[in-house]
Parts: sequence; C-alpha cells; structure tokens
Amino acid sequence: MSGDFDKERGGGGRGGRSGDKDKKDEKGGGRRTFFRRRRVCKFCVEKIDYIGYKDVKLLAPFIPERGKIQPRRISGVCATHQRALQTAIKRARALALIPYTTD
Amino acid sequence: MSQVRQYELIYIVPPDTTEEVLADVHQQIAVVAERFGATIEKTENWGRRRLAYEISRHREGVYVLELINGPGAMTAELDRRLRVLDAVMRHLIVRVDEELGVAERSLTRRKAAMGARRVRRGLPPEPTEAERHRRDTEREDDMDGGMESGFRGREDR
Repeated sequence: MSGDFDKERGGGGRGGRSGDKDKKDEKGGGRRTFFRRRRVCKFCVEKIDYIGYKDVKLLAPFIPERGKIQPRRISGVCATHQRALQTAIKRARALALIPYTTD
Repeated sequence: MSQVRQYELIYIVPPDTTEEVLADVHQQIAVVAERFGATIEKTENWGRRRLAYEISRHREGVYVLELINGPGAMTAELDRRLRVLDAVMRHLIVRVDEELGVAERSLTRRKAAMGARRVRRGLPPEPTEAERHRRDTEREDDMDGGMESGFRGREDR
C-alpha cells in the first residue's frame, strides 16, 4: 500500500478525487477537476459497527466478479472499516460462503 | 487462571449427513465444552446451503453455528477434535466477545453523543417517530446515488 497516496488524499478533504493522471485545474483548487463520485465509507455512513463474516449480503458489494477484495481506493471505505472488512471476507471465504476466486 | 470468553464455532457437514451423526457431533462438542467448564449459549442450524466452491467434492453443506462461552484453552481442543472428525468438512472458531463489545460500546457512545447534541438544541434526547421516518427516506435516496456512482467507478478503471 502506498502511504503517499493516503496522505495526498487526506489533504484534499472529502471532495471528489481529482484524478492522478488528469491535469489539475488550479482555479477549482484542484477539487473540481473530474468530479467522479462522492466516495464515502458505507460503514461510517450507515453506522455499521460490526462487520460480521456471516452476513454475505453485507460483504457482497465489496467483492467484484473475480472474487478479489475491492481496494478501498475504489470503494471509498475508510481504513478502519477496510481492515474489519478484510478479516470478515477472509473468514467467509474459509467457510465457503464467498469464493476465493471465480473464473 | 482461565477467563470466560465467547466463541463462535461454525462447522459444515455434508448434506447427506443423518440426524444421528449431526447429534453425535454436537454431543462431542458439548462434552469437550463441559470438560472445560464452558456453556453452549445457543445452537443454530442454518440448514443446507450452497458452497461457494467445492469441498471434498460436495457442492452443498449443512452449516451449524454454536455460540460457546468458555476459556481459550478449550478452542485448541475443539479445533483438534473437529479436525479429526470425518463428518465435519470444515470448521471455524472465532472469538466474538471483543468485537461485539467494541460494536456495542461505540453504539452507546454514539447514542449518548446524539442525545447530548439534541438536548443542547432543546430537543428531547430520543428522536420522535416523525423525525425518524423523514431521516430514513432521505437516506434511501442517498444510497441510490452512492450505488450508481460506485458502479460507474468500476467501469472506468
């Protein structure tokens, strides 16, 4: 994981991510450029405290078709919850509730 | 010194397992638990479920969940026993008291904070029915938006 990336984002606040490759528009303070999406942590917003491994419905949105765990740079989950999510997904995999891989 | 902790034990048996075998497995767990002075708080049979992948050529399995209050030394013994049992395809023991405790504490903390905020604004500490309804509908709208954009994000990667 790149620590630099996280630092960069922390300064930018909660506004949309200004793409790394895209040229930055100085007028908008670098925030307005290529507004993609408001990325907020689902677990913070919905105040889900316990991410259980038994709850497949809760975990499913974070597992794309391939079966990999979605990185938080895509899903917008905060670090704390991504960690909890990670263990939950790995436990669910061990119990064959979620596939390790799909091809 | 052994502390009582809460563990969740889940095991999967083949779908063609008879009731007797299932009861026997449960009995064996109960015996081990008893030896360590543990109590089984609840047993939950999820029934037949589709497995996400094949385990020893089975596509389905019967899931059983046991909530056990007992010392940590018990888990090692349970683990060893379950690994030997042929009837059990797979099992997992997870300590849950800590995580659930954290979740509960943050819930109460949040409730207290919300109550304090509301009192400062001159409102009753608990939201009224009407307010709750309004907030729920608002959140639904919000979630729709979030989901849509999440999907888009996946594509333009």
